[in-house]
Amino acid sequence: MTDTGTATLKVARYRPEKSTKPYYQEYKAAYRKDTVVLDALNQIKAEVDGTLAYRWSCRMGVCGSCGANINGTPRLTCATFLHEFKGRTITVEPLAHFPIIKDLVVNMDDFMEKLVRIKPWIIRDKEAPPEEGEYKQTSEQVDKYSQFSSCINCMLCYSACPVYGLNEEFLGPAATALAYRYIMDSRDQGKQARFPIIHELEGVWECTLVGECSVVCPKGVDPMLAIQKTKILGATEAGKSLVKPISGLRAILLPQGGS
Amino acid sequence: MGEPRKYPEFRRKLTLGWWLSNRRYTAYMLRELTSFFIMVFSLLYIYQLSLLASRNTAAYNSYLGLLRNPVMVLFSTITLAFCIYHSLTWFYLTGKVQPIKIGKRTTTPVMSLAFNTVLMAAVSYGVVRLFLMGGL
Repeated sequence: MTDTGTATLKVARYRPEKSTKPYYQEYKAAYRKDTVVLDALNQIKAEVDGTLAYRWSCRMGVCGSCGANINGTPRLTCATFLHEFKGRTITVEPLAHFPIIKDLVVNMDDFMEKLVRIKPWIIRDKEAPPEEGEYKQTSEQVDKYSQFSSCINCMLCYSACPVYGLNEEFLGPAATALAYRYIMDSRDQGKQARFPIIHELEGVWECTLVGECSVVCPKGVDPMLAIQKTKILGATEAGKSLVKPISGLRAILLPQGGS
Repeated sequence: MGEPRKYPEFRRKLTLGWWLSNRRYTAYMLRELTSFFIMVFSLLYIYQLSLLASRNTAAYNSYLGLLRNPVMVLFSTITLAFCIYHSLTWFYLTGKVQPIKIGKRTTTPVMSLAFNTVLMAAVSYGVVRLFLMGGL
């Protein structure tokens, strides 16, 4: 099989003004070794069918706009080469679990709301005066959160998560990974502000370790790890709060200390 | 968030067979299914212990006879296989979630799987020696 040829793309269409249900439409697209699914969609839109709707922006795996389910797996269309499929039909569907607005365009509001809720920014109780300089970090401190800061909000992890598919109240992989990213940042002091959100019933505790979120992430982030680490943090905090009344009582009964 | 839409959005539901669409989903569902077999086995074991505690020798021996039934042997074999499968997947995941730093190196999930499997085999061997072979 050569790296050039004509690929068949079976694209899911949903045109609410014409049809009440999604349907598939097949297109042919010429490809070379470096043609990606997004190039094929652009080729189809420009030359065959201008009504096809999909999101894209950077074309280089940075913006996270062009995610779609390709042959059932959530992937960035700009990073999926046509020659990988060796002549087999390529099915392109919108990201799973999100409501479809049109064709491959899904409604992202739920994710955006969750993203804002976990406060993805550095929270400080009190800012240090500028003359004290920047907040410095050691490389060990950076290592604690670095991989989780690579999230590009592409939502592939949500499309891969059956728990989110069953219960959209679930906070989900990317939002938790970003919450964990800020909790582990030595400059951040917002753990107590984020804990009520991530440890509510539909927060991290809904996760049952399917692990597919980490498999599909195009940036090498491991949201499953972030969720489990967040659970450990929550359990540790809960343990501390149980011990607190006992230590308070000890302080009253044994003011001089005791063994 | 946003303006009300002119046209309805299409909402999809997870199909019953979603876990068959990819082998990792299937492996996950098998791991979840193990809990059913382990629950039934545990209930049967508790019942067996209650018979033992009642000192009713006839009832206990009759229950042991039932356990030798081919269907029960098959059930126990499936439960054992699932129990081992569940343990191995959890040993791997434990290594993923809680890597341990030893000096400058960090343990990998495969190291956790290997270490815990050897530990489980050793403890199992000890239990078998203690209870079935008359002592360590």
